Amino acid sequence: MNSEIIIQKLEELFRDLFDDYTGPVTRELTADDVEEWDSLGHIQLMVLIEKTMGLRFSTEEIRQLKNLGELVDLIQAKTATGE
Amino acid sequence: MLGTDREEYPVLSNLLRQQLEVFPDHRFYLNRRFKGASEEHMALTEMVARQVAQVAGAELPEVLEDYAWLSREVIEEELYFRRTGQYRLDSFEEAERLVYSDPVYMHRYMNGLLASQVWWRNHTDIIGYYVSTYLSGLTEGFRHLEIGPGHGLFLYQTAAAANPGSLTAWDISEVSLRNTRAALDAMGVERPVELAACNLFEAPAGEFDSITFSEVLEHLEQPFAALQILGQLLAKDGRLFVNAPVNSPAPDHIYLFRTPEEVIDMVERAGFEVLNRFFAPTTGATLQQARKRELAISVAVIASPRQER
Repeated sequence: MNSEIIIQKLEELFRDLFDDYTGPVTRELTADDVEEWDSLGHIQLMVLIEKTMGLRFSTEEIRQLKNLGELVDLIQAKTATGE
Repeated sequence: MLGTDREEYPVLSNLLRQQLEVFPDHRFYLNRRFKGASEEHMALTEMVARQVAQVAGAELPEVLEDYAWLSREVIEEELYFRRTGQYRLDSFEEAERLVYSDPVYMHRYMNGLLASQVWWRNHTDIIGYYVSTYLSGLTEGFRHLEIGPGHGLFLYQTAAAANPGSLTAWDISEVSLRNTRAALDAMGVERPVELAACNLFEAPAGEFDSITFSEVLEHLEQPFAALQILGQLLAKDGRLFVNAPVNSPAPDHIYLFRTPEEVIDMVERAGFEVLNRFFAPTTGATLQQARKRELAISVAVIASPRQER
């Protein structure tokens, strides 16, 4: 899956979950930019991605992500290897 | 983080500084915790912070470390909960084996929960509601029972703010009762408080005008039966205070309430009339957001035995 398609899918999930956020959804986006994206919001987002895209993240992977770009790269790596 | 008037909240400011030293990753969360907080809420939080600091005493650095540990434990539980829609444990036996019978784990857990009274907005809000709405409605000389007094903060407010006739607390754990006694002593409670090891399901006959049952229902396999027993222990015109969280995964939570209405419904079905209720959503969320995203909400209910017509 290419990164543009992943970002499009993520934007859909992201806006549904964090519906107060109206700014752009880009690779540079971090939790600091989004009011609702706290530690619990992060867990909800990651599990939503798992369920929607049929993936599984480790706790370490979930913890270490620093921005949306890293999340896109992680999803791309996982879909490429069929994890 | 606390705004321009931090000198008004000296204990809270100090606690916050120390917490961030041992848990710097929590800055974002704590920023949200106090963003837009009213003066009334800040004054309440300062009061709770003072009590927590008193209870912690010289162990305060350890308490704050244990809060950081608990926050990470809860994230693991949250991950399980979001993936499965269930709490990880569903029997008291499992909670006993994995949590209650491990004194080291329990010590850290209790410490973490103590600090959470300040850092988790719903916990602070419920203490505020307890003082402003529950205790203020009790008649002088009331005979009070708390079941599962834990960190002792509710028992302390009861002893300090109202004019009770007697104060009793039960817990199944002797260790927990010793912790409660130490907490009451640290906060300078002078009224006599009888603490007794007692399983609610084997409770002796008694009559109380006020029963506090805070954060116990979610630890029970049979919360409905527990509420029915409380009805037998309460005087005809007595008052019950129940506090239980919704969608709140934790290492020893076994009974899952999915909506605030499920808690209220259970209290009513157990034979009570609900007189007042208060829903406190988790830090950073409005009640509407918490409902939509199925986040934790603390549900406080004030009830009295339903009178037969």
